[in-house]
Amino acid sequence: MTRTGAAAGYHGYYHEAVCYESDDDLLAVAVPFLLGGAAAGEPTIVALGERAASVVRAALPGDAPITFMSGGAMYARPAGAIRAYRKLLAGHVAAGAPQIRIIGELTADLFGPVWDSWARYESAINHAYDEFPLWSMCAYDMRTAPAQVYEDVLRTHPRTARPDGTHVPNETYVDPVTFLSDRRLPVPDPLQRAAPRADIAEPTLGDARQAVRDADGGRLAPDDVDDLIVAVSEAVANAYRHGRAPVRLRLWSSADRIVVTVTDGGPGPKDPFAGLLPTGDGLAGGLGLWIAHQSCDHVAMYRDAGGFTIRLTTGN
Amino acid sequence: MHRQRDSSRRGRQLGWLLLRGDECHGVRRMSPATRAGHECWSYEDQGLFDAYARRCVDAGLAAGERVWYVPSHNSEVTPLPGGDAVRVIRFAEAYAGDQVVDPAGQVAAYAAATEDALAAGFTGFRVVADVTPLVRTDEQRDAFARYEYVIGRYMRHHPMSAVCAYDRGELGEHAVAELACLHESSHAAGVTFQLHPGATSAEAVLDGELDTSAGELFATALRRTDLDRAGDEVVVDGSGLRFIDHRALLTLQRYAESQSTTAVLRTRLGAVARLAGLLELTHVRVEAAR
Repeated sequence: MTRTGAAAGYHGYYHEAVCYESDDDLLAVAVPFLLGGAAAGEPTIVALGERAASVVRAALPGDAPITFMSGGAMYARPAGAIRAYRKLLAGHVAAGAPQIRIIGELTADLFGPVWDSWARYESAINHAYDEFPLWSMCAYDMRTAPAQVYEDVLRTHPRTARPDGTHVPNETYVDPVTFLSDRRLPVPDPLQRAAPRADIAEPTLGDARQAVRDADGGRLAPDDVDDLIVAVSEAVANAYRHGRAPVRLRLWSSADRIVVTVTDGGPGPKDPFAGLLPTGDGLAGGLGLWIAHQSCDHVAMYRDAGGFTIRLTTGN
Repeated sequence: MHRQRDSSRRGRQLGWLLLRGDECHGVRRMSPATRAGHECWSYEDQGLFDAYARRCVDAGLAAGERVWYVPSHNSEVTPLPGGDAVRVIRFAEAYAGDQVVDPAGQVAAYAAATEDALAAGFTGFRVVADVTPLVRTDEQRDAFARYEYVIGRYMRHHPMSAVCAYDRGELGEHAVAELACLHESSHAAGVTFQLHPGATSAEAVLDGELDTSAGELFATALRRTDLDRAGDEVVVDGSGLRFIDHRALLTLQRYAESQSTTAVLRTRLGAVARLAGLLELTHVRVEAAR
């Protein structure tokens, strides 16, 4: 059993972008990709946004053995998406699949303030999925994607699949270690323009958790607050374990959003995949940032003159 | 070994304490509604402990209980009211410094003392004791920690309560923490969680918050429980749990795995089930607390 299509003979993850200007462009790439996988007996999966999925579904024969997954559910949080896909891929490989084909989509709602974390996702998966015989296409609707998004797509995908059937290398692609090591400053949250609700020097982990509980105005789902407490506790624990003094926690909140920054005087994690992938079995550390990334809506990690900061956000 | 200087014809030895003069008058039916307490009091200031102990003695007497008070070796003990209801027992009279407590024997001794108190018409039995001399060595502390856990279960079901005091200045914070976390509650012991017995030997109760500060303390505490290894599962009642991090969950997993059992952790915290899912725990199952 060998791989088929453009990835035939390729070892590891064959990662492509699809930057479509029209539905016809999308179909010109997606339909032969999906039907080719189905014909070869390869697990073939669609994880597009709702609109694009319906366009593609309508263009496929009704009996094509193609699995449709909810792109919105799959792409809730970057670290969670990596974990879910890795489990999915491992399952197919264990079942003997020579190749898995997936066409997915990050939709316009992710192109705003949280885009930085999805750009990092797109880069990290070049490494995170490379142990699997995966051929994936990441579809981007150029009618909604800002210039920054397009630039990042080309830097994080080794190649682009075009409607004319060609697969061309992206000249601006950079390896994930390089891309992820550039910890750009995130878009400031509007709440951060005001003085923080809490500003705690050298907080204990209990102090940090209580600050989140105190900030809960009752408009966030209790599970989301519980999860943010987990994330903040892990971030502070990480600062003490791996960072340098001084450690400082700041918290801003509105009725339906809480933003927490944890700063330490160190340079931040050396591992460019920190947070996106677990780096150990937890016995000797390595899971804290990974858990923090899966326990709130958005995580940004960056360096500035004050040291290393992890910003954790939950809510609207 | 005990020095039984006063083991008169009517007296009998009860573990590390010497009971003098009381006779057993049979077992009184005890109210199941009676809920005793098992509290750890860690101190550095002798005066503060003495004052607290006195309040506990007074509260016991006011509640109609028989009270035993075992003061510290340098406590100032003023005359206590209560007549026969209260007994002051000096360690030097009843204790040899190298004794390692026998957990089962000590529980049996206190069970007999509780029954005696009830038979004599008291509403219950209360002990206020500075037990610092019993936990000075590692061996003593290990045995006493196991005893602290199992006596807690006796107190759940019987009208006995206890305040166990430890001199933090002499024993050190870590040693006191090892003991304190096995009580139902603790004072000034620097612990953020309490692991104490549930209604049966297959159940433990875990309250408070567990994060990196719990560290090895939680693993040590679990080893000192008598959680029943015979069944398929043990239950950890976490309805009073405010936080548990992934390290503590992994500690619970390792404990359960070592005992060839599954720990069922019941908690109101939704995040715990999600954490357990991320960690793909094989020997811990998280359920919603009722």
